[in-house]
Amino acid sequence: MMFSVIDVILGLLLLAVPAAAIYLLDRPRLRPAAIAVSRMMAQMALMCLVLWLVFRFDRPWLSLLWLVAVSVGSSYLAVKRSRQDVRQLLLPVSAGMFLGNLVVAFWLLAALCSWREVLAARSFVPLTALLSGHSVAMLIRSLSVFSQARWQGNLQYEFNVSNGYTHWRAMLPFVRQAFQHLLSPSLANISVLGLFAMPLLLVGLLLGGWEPVRAVILFVLLVVACLAASVIALLLALWLACRK
Amino acid sequence: MLEVKDAAIGVGGQTFQRNLSFVAKDGQLTCITGAEGSGKTTLLRALMGFLPLSEGFVSIDGEMLTPDSAPFFRRMIAYLPQNAQWLSHLLYPAEMPEYEADEYAAWNALLPSCPVLPEVSPLSGDEVYRLLEQVVTQAGKTMVVADEPAASLTSGQTGQLLSLLRRQADEGRAVLIVSRRPEIIGRCDQLISLDSGNV
Repeated sequence: MMFSVIDVILGLLLLAVPAAAIYLLDRPRLRPAAIAVSRMMAQMALMCLVLWLVFRFDRPWLSLLWLVAVSVGSSYLAVKRSRQDVRQLLLPVSAGMFLGNLVVAFWLLAALCSWREVLAARSFVPLTALLSGHSVAMLIRSLSVFSQARWQGNLQYEFNVSNGYTHWRAMLPFVRQAFQHLLSPSLANISVLGLFAMPLLLVGLLLGGWEPVRAVILFVLLVVACLAASVIALLLALWLACRK
Repeated sequence: MLEVKDAAIGVGGQTFQRNLSFVAKDGQLTCITGAEGSGKTTLLRALMGFLPLSEGFVSIDGEMLTPDSAPFFRRMIAYLPQNAQWLSHLLYPAEMPEYEADEYAAWNALLPSCPVLPEVSPLSGDEVYRLLEQVVTQAGKTMVVADEPAASLTSGQTGQLLSLLRRQADEGRAVLIVSRRPEIIGRCDQLISLDSGNV
């Protein structure tokens, strides 16, 4: 899909509809709405610049740098939203997120494309952004659950260690609880995916010009990849965070 | 058999006991008693290798207890904690809330809020006894260490527990109990009072 500046301006004219409705029905909100739209534009412009640079130079090291930046940013969001100590958890969660996304992206791209194209910006950057986005949502829940379970279960941990369990075996109930809270919402979502509404990601693929069967197959693979990446990210993050 | 020789125990620079020596023999119930703050639980933690002794030593079946060997020895110990009523997850798995699919589905990504885990509800006396029985009768344990095990039990359940511990002793295990309850102290073979340092 190609478009000119005029096309974009015509598209943006659609903003006149909510703007008119706000003007007529909720005038005090006109200014906050204008600020929100301006912030969206500024953020998108910045992201556009970054993506343009990454795609323009298209170097493996730049793709990896992108993944590092996305992993650290996503991890910060996940740790902050799960109300955990950023200084304590940022590094292990970032490492877990980075490795989880890297392994899954390598696997999927090697399966779908070829080894040479694994780090190509065109596929690596959007895929890792998608994996990070999903992992953030899942890690917010599971990190929060892990921390609560560990706090509530301190007596249980001491009991297990006192009865001869190793540190890792004693931690297992809390890791299991965190994992269950990662898996359950994912399974709940998977089971109704596309039942009531077309998922945004699939819409994006169709808009990108993918033929429906291939788009649905890729969508399913991406859903599976998201699940795999978030599981690896969680388990690695907890393993790194809970080492004695 | 557990032997404590000339031990000094303390925590955070405060020493509770010095020159403490006793032997908890296999086949006997040994009770450690003492006033609040006399260092009973601290002694127990030292005997399990969680706290280092500032003086003296502990040995189990003739082998020295050290920070390195402690995890190995703990595998031979059945430990009954003080607040067993809060260990409900050992009997019942943690409750798992039912997750509904997000309105926009995960891959349209609205960030979720943090779930709040339900409070752990305490076990009843019968459930505590059932848990302690499970722990004590595990295979491969040669020693039982109990820290105020009857704290949440009725006197009837305490009697049941004492019978259970006596059976363990009769099977050749060393049983070490920290308690201030007279009905437990009265049925032990050996009493160690941390108030006087007497055996």
